[in-house]
Amino acid sequence: MSQSDIDLMAHLMRRAGFGATREELERYVAQGYETVVERLLDPENTPAELDDEDLIRRYHTDANDMPVKDSGQSYWLYRMINTPRPLEEKLTLFWHGLLPSGYTKVSRTMVLLRQVDMFRRFGMGSFHTLLMELSQDPAMLYYLDNKDNHDGEPNENYGRELLELFSMGVGNYTEQDVFEASRAFTGWTIYNADLHSVRTEMMTNHPYGKLDWQFEYRNEDHDDGDKAFLGQRGALNGQDVIDIICRQPATARFISRHLYNFFVADEPQVPAWQTVPPRDPEAIDLLADAYFANDYQIRPMLRILFNSDFFKDSAFAKVKSPAEVVVGTVRLVGGHRFPGLEDMVLAGEMALMGQELLDPPSVEGWHTGTEWINSGALVQRVNFAVDQFGDTDKAGVRAIIDRIRASGDVLSPERLVDTCLDLMGPVRVSEGTRRELLGQAAAGGEIRFDSESESRRSVETVKKILQLIVSTREFQMC
Amino acid sequence: MGTQPIYRYSHSIGLFSNMGGMGFCHPVDLALGHDGVMYVLSRGNYDTAVQWPGKRVTMCTLDEEYLGELSGGGTGDGQIMWPAGIALDRDGNVYVSDEALNRVSVFRKSGEFLGSWGSEGSGDGEFNRPAGMAFDQDDNLLVADGLNCRIQRYTRDGRYLGGWGRPGTSDGEFNVPWGITVDRAGNVYVGDWRNDRVQKFDADGRHLNTWGSSGRGDGEFRRPAGVTVDQDGDIYIADWGNERVQVLGPDGEFRAGLRGESGLSKWAKEWFAANPDEFNARLGADMEPPMDRLSSGSSRDRSASIEKLFWGPTSVRVDGRLRVYVVDSMRHRIQIYQKSGGE
Repeated sequence: MSQSDIDLMAHLMRRAGFGATREELERYVAQGYETVVERLLDPENTPAELDDEDLIRRYHTDANDMPVKDSGQSYWLYRMINTPRPLEEKLTLFWHGLLPSGYTKVSRTMVLLRQVDMFRRFGMGSFHTLLMELSQDPAMLYYLDNKDNHDGEPNENYGRELLELFSMGVGNYTEQDVFEASRAFTGWTIYNADLHSVRTEMMTNHPYGKLDWQFEYRNEDHDDGDKAFLGQRGALNGQDVIDIICRQPATARFISRHLYNFFVADEPQVPAWQTVPPRDPEAIDLLADAYFANDYQIRPMLRILFNSDFFKDSAFAKVKSPAEVVVGTVRLVGGHRFPGLEDMVLAGEMALMGQELLDPPSVEGWHTGTEWINSGALVQRVNFAVDQFGDTDKAGVRAIIDRIRASGDVLSPERLVDTCLDLMGPVRVSEGTRRELLGQAAAGGEIRFDSESESRRSVETVKKILQLIVSTREFQMC
Repeated sequence: MGTQPIYRYSHSIGLFSNMGGMGFCHPVDLALGHDGVMYVLSRGNYDTAVQWPGKRVTMCTLDEEYLGELSGGGTGDGQIMWPAGIALDRDGNVYVSDEALNRVSVFRKSGEFLGSWGSEGSGDGEFNRPAGMAFDQDDNLLVADGLNCRIQRYTRDGRYLGGWGRPGTSDGEFNVPWGITVDRAGNVYVGDWRNDRVQKFDADGRHLNTWGSSGRGDGEFRRPAGVTVDQDGDIYIADWGNERVQVLGPDGEFRAGLRGESGLSKWAKEWFAANPDEFNARLGADMEPPMDRLSSGSSRDRSASIEKLFWGPTSVRVDGRLRVYVVDSMRHRIQIYQKSGGE
């Protein structure tokens, strides 16, 4: 098992999931890179889908009806940490950022989580199906006001964002297209829209708690007149509009660039895409071709992406999102967690780092890359990871220490630092960072496990080095 | 051959209230006092401090007179975080189990905190998420010790007397038991939650019977929680995962199923009187959306969409006049049914 195999597998698991422990990496390397990619792409056939839904719902009573935003955030974070299907969960997060609805307006966590679950179920399939599901999704119908989009009184909010932010991008359609798309989606609404609107605006759970929402198509409220959209004419309905959108080269390139930005390397923020060309135009072409060659399916695009050289060569080219910091660190230190009182803490930590699940700052989702980092967020990220590695009883930390101990009774500072960096990722650091780590390791004295008292002292030194590693600039990258 | 019992919906008690006062917040269990006072145990909305007022024991009457509350959210003495079970001893003192703090706390009905016992562990007198509780005929307390998969018995002042059970699927073994009750003869019934069955024991813990298997059909369960037995010997199970209550005869034969048919409680009507906007919108709405509009056909999705149905029933109790009280957890209310017939 070569070091480069481990490095590459670690890269894949950081991007296609939320990282992996050394034990997991070694298991995956033994399976082979392409086999692992195929398994990631086939979550439906991954055995042992989380079977603790009942335990979560029993102990976290609020996980049944999601009375507050925190309930849904904790619930989803629990899934991210524990899922045996990492890419399914990572891709769900991708769609949540690209096709978002937010709690600040919808204020119904259960309805938002149903949207998230829709992304989970349809995220690797046809983009056409995904847009159809999105257009019938109650959270989206409320978030972008399509419940107020009526025959003769079109509300353009959903029609506009569908084109601008969800499929094609600015510069590829006209204002008239926005108007016509909006007319096509008149009558796509929420059942009992008036009641749900009043309850949402009042933010009330009275008298008897939450009520779930459902889609309703009201034919009598649909504008079935003639429309002209992107060069096509007819009595177009919403599905016709989605048919036409999915055929556009601009859509293929827009989705490809989003996949590249999320899985490969940081691109500028979406508003700049009209003027700034992609970092790797050939990669975008390759993905866009796969989109058309496979009936708009996302899975074949991902297969090409993960097996490409441009992906394999992109290690540490991205700034970790707060989700990647929190979930990745928790997986590294502890792996599976039984539903417990402490689950609620993680969602709050993530929010302080600038990513509140289920409540992105706008319909643009989150700005990514270096925009994740400001001084407050950075302190939060570092403090969180340092705190997680401060407990040597955590299973993941203990496993790292056990491996170090197994490599010999006596370790030099160099050996200690290199072993820690290796087991923590592997993390690749600059020479300057390595020198600083070596200095700290040397100050802690030789690492020895040949007596009880030396062991205790050495464990403390190892802990300190691990905490220093998670404080490095390099640990913020993935 | 006897007739099947009939269960007629009587009324509901409750209103969502996460800030204390009139109403409940995710009630999970209730105890019926001899003086007509009900003690409803609310687990609360969420675990951050701002939501702690939702965690409490509310005292009220059958006709929805609010009498006050005791305990409250927190980790200190006399406070609760994940309350799961409630029971009253012969003197009317109130016992509350706590799955987060792994202890049983005791209060006078006046609310005065008397003490607590238990800590996390698997030894004698230790708990790992204690859930349902019931007093036996000697006024000793039986506790379903969830993750330890066993039943423990204590004196009223917390002295450990013994117990039975271990993890497993055989008779007398458990998988995260939840509800527990004692019938008039002293027999003990346990909602063997993750084994999808109910087990019956004699007063000393000797296994007598097992009923149920995984499923949605009559006599089948999906994660049965609370259990109780009426004076006729009929057994009531809060079939939590199937969002219903099932009634079995004394020999385990299926007798009836309840799915929920709540109307507005007195407290709910009072709330609407002060909030006419929602009430008017409600009058114009279809409170029973057609099934084809629901996102799936599961009982949970139906319960989330149709307000009158049980949603997450966790506990069921029956009083001496054969009134059945169903703790309708996600709907923040108690649905009450009157049993008749069944001779």
